[in-house]
Amino acid sequence: MLTVYCWLLCLYPRSYRHEFGDEMTSVFRDARIELPPALAAKVSFYGREFCGLLSGALCAHFDRVFGPAISFPRFHMQRQFRFPRSTVFLMCMILASVVLAINKAVNIVEQKKGLPLGTTAAWEPMLAALLLTLALIFAVVITVWAVLFATRRTGMHRLENLHTRPEQQ
Amino acid sequence: MLDKSNPKAQYGVIRHVGNDTMETSALTEPVLLVLMSLAEQPRHGYSILKDIESMSDGSVQLSTGTLYGALQRLLDDGWIERVEEDNAPRDRRTYRLTSRGRRNLQMEIERMRHLTKLASLRVARKEG
Repeated sequence: MLTVYCWLLCLYPRSYRHEFGDEMTSVFRDARIELPPALAAKVSFYGREFCGLLSGALCAHFDRVFGPAISFPRFHMQRQFRFPRSTVFLMCMILASVVLAINKAVNIVEQKKGLPLGTTAAWEPMLAALLLTLALIFAVVITVWAVLFATRRTGMHRLENLHTRPEQQ
Repeated sequence: MLDKSNPKAQYGVIRHVGNDTMETSALTEPVLLVLMSLAEQPRHGYSILKDIESMSDGSVQLSTGTLYGALQRLLDDGWIERVEEDNAPRDRRTYRLTSRGRRNLQMEIERMRHLTKLASLRVARKEG
């Protein structure tokens, strides 16, 4: 299991691994030694550790790419959407640019090989399917959230009227 | 000491997710627990894990990924620091609260105290 743990540590950014990798491995090793022999405890421990490692690696990469702007654990508690909307727009632009660049490159390759246009673009249906799936998931999430919001079940309405500081009284 | 003349500074704890974002937000549970653990004495990673488990009677068990995610953010924000020790092994470094971290922890405790008081008042009003 220690080997698996060390392998999963590779999912973290290199700088993070360099700074905390040894310590994390050491803490995992110590915690493992003190594990009770019961199977349930072991399953719970390894499940927690590996899930924590995966989510930690994801957060570390997000922090590295976007800066420490997103607080995942509190995301659902925020009334204001903290993820900058300009970033969403930029990400869409970047995705569109990448897709266009790939398309252009494929066309150039086909022209060089003397093939008719569109011969090697077999990945396009896959990309379309992926985008369609993402769009469907997005639509479902938005619909569910809208229903919850309309039925005042999101908790936002209660939080809105909550005064937690004396000056708000 | 808490700044009574500036309620925002007193109750608006700086988010632990960035130095430049002086937004008001509650601390996440792992961060709060780590700060509470280090408030007592400097500790290394495994000691923090065990202390948090003991503080919560075993109901909160942080994974190493969560713990070091919190430690990294707190280090970046200057709320905690590493204790410089001679001959300390690289895999067993000790952390302690900085004065900034202690001040922010006090602010968070004040905020929670106020929230608890408010909740008690509202519940009592509803019952009465």
